[in-house]
Amino acid sequence: MPLIEVQNVTKVYPGEGVVTTALNGVSFTINAGEFVAIMGPSGSGKSTLLHILGFLDRHTDGIYRFEGKTIDDYSSIDIARVRNKKMGFVFQAFNLLPRTSVLENVKLPLLYSDIPESRWNAMALEAINTVGLEHRVQHEPAQLSGGEKQRVAIARALVNDPALIFADEPTGNLDSKSGQMVMNALQKLNEEHGHTIILITHETQTAEHAQRIIRIRDGMVEGDEKVAHRRVATMEFVK
Amino acid sequence: MKLSYSFSTAIAGLKTNKRRSMLTILGIVIGITSIILVMSLGAGAQDLILGQIKSIGAKTIAIIPGREPKGPTDIVASFADSLKQREFDALERKVNVPHLAKIMPIVFSSEAIANGSETYRATVFGATDLFTSLYNVYPAQGRVFTEEEIRGYAPVAIIGSKVRTQLFGDSDAIGQNIRIKGNNVRVIGVFGGQGQVSFVNFDEMVLMPYTTTQRTIMGIKHFNRLIAEADSEENVKTTVDDITATLRSLHNISDPTKDDFFIQTQAEALSTVGTITNALTLFLAAIAAISLVVGGVGIMNIMLVSVTERTREIGLRKAIGATEKEILTQFLMEAVTLTGVGGIVGVLLGGSLSFLASIILTHQLGRVWLFSLPISSIVLGIGVSAVIGLVFGIYPARQASKKSPMEALRYE
Repeated sequence: MPLIEVQNVTKVYPGEGVVTTALNGVSFTINAGEFVAIMGPSGSGKSTLLHILGFLDRHTDGIYRFEGKTIDDYSSIDIARVRNKKMGFVFQAFNLLPRTSVLENVKLPLLYSDIPESRWNAMALEAINTVGLEHRVQHEPAQLSGGEKQRVAIARALVNDPALIFADEPTGNLDSKSGQMVMNALQKLNEEHGHTIILITHETQTAEHAQRIIRIRDGMVEGDEKVAHRRVATMEFVK
Repeated sequence: MKLSYSFSTAIAGLKTNKRRSMLTILGIVIGITSIILVMSLGAGAQDLILGQIKSIGAKTIAIIPGREPKGPTDIVASFADSLKQREFDALERKVNVPHLAKIMPIVFSSEAIANGSETYRATVFGATDLFTSLYNVYPAQGRVFTEEEIRGYAPVAIIGSKVRTQLFGDSDAIGQNIRIKGNNVRVIGVFGGQGQVSFVNFDEMVLMPYTTTQRTIMGIKHFNRLIAEADSEENVKTTVDDITATLRSLHNISDPTKDDFFIQTQAEALSTVGTITNALTLFLAAIAAISLVVGGVGIMNIMLVSVTERTREIGLRKAIGATEKEILTQFLMEAVTLTGVGGIVGVLLGGSLSFLASIILTHQLGRVWLFSLPISSIVLGIGVSAVIGLVFGIYPARQASKKSPMEALRYE
């Protein structure tokens, strides 16, 4: 059973008189353990697709199954639980809580989980170690560089050990050096920890860090192929 | 999410905007402070007044001529002369009122008191020597009049400290003559600065034998009050019944609504005063409570601003697995924490102000004003402010919980 199964999914936003079609029959499957880039220019519908894949929004038509189940199989509370346990999100704008330490930021998903509080610190520290920020545990976001902030966000996404991590333009706000470090972290998570990663980007260079690229244009899949010459982010964390 | 954790999340949320949080709770602090102050001072005033009434003694019974007033517009003047020597004599007889220990007639009138060219208007009380023991106030200088002086219509008087200063300045008043309504009256005693005791201001009064006051000064045949004392507290009720029966048979009254006198005891006075001060306290507290509503609206306003500002935080929390209920709880908790802290600060502030006021009042009144902070007012103060947080926090919290997680993903 594939982890993600998308069949002829459409998304239509009913506006006042104007109907916007964001997705116009998208189909693909993603298996567990894959590192897939969804690539397209802005307005192509890739963000809408991410919202639907992440159970943040409902599609208009077609079938989307995550682990064999559709969003309609869950209650709204269950959807929150699925997002909490099985999905991790990394955003372009980091979205860290200001004036809150790295440790507390990484712990955030655990607050909404049923994991006992006694394990929270250990789990958060482990995730922080994975992204190489153990020397920044008590720092606040304002004291971190952009690359470090995004690595905190990655640690937060993986603290609950989700099956799937969504990364929405994770390098969009970073210089190339910091971007390399973030991509390195994602590749490591995929290869060494076996997390499935879906990377949303508009840059070919960034997309080529994945194993496979699904190209989206005007709400439709334009191409779906393996990356022939995969880029490997070599930049190690500067500690 | 556990409640303890949503509490610490709320605290963290409030800490990130300390100054705003503090300004927000100001309305609640002021509201609770005024309520606590009013309730505390109300309790202090009640203590003071009740203490004054109690100082007359629980065995005391006042018989007042006329019909008991039934309301503020009731005419009290009717039957004002229904108590005379005949009634006094009847009540004094053991056969009629067996448990009566003492009885004293009182007459009073506001008169101009003169010494040479100096005049001063004061209340002249005519009574017996029981008056001083009843109020437990004795002359600081000189003496109280004797039985013989009462029986002999002696023109003697004990004067209050203020009357003495006004008429005699610093010179000695004992043995001097004063003039009241053209009569020479000899000063035999002076009260010290007693101030107000119960309903009598001892500084601005002149105490004389009731016989002299009634006939010579006022020229009347009736008494303004008859003050009786039962032989024990247990017998107050029986004595009141006996007095009522005696006076009714003397005046041929069969219908109790046609009574031409009424009787007050300390227990009655206590409950009357208690009711009045309670009503006053409640009334003032209700006015203070209006500021709480204003404070609550302020909380709602700021919470709405905060929810809008924190759209991305809310979206993020939902994206990583917070349910609507958890977001609702978090923001409700922030509102309740805000108002709860406001309540605690208000109680502390109100309590300290009331304590300060009790010190100043004690100093100013020359009488012990007891500081009292009723537990009920503390519970009420903190409880009410928490409820205000709930009531005014629910709308902003609902707004927060309905926010879409997609907004967190949208980059501006």
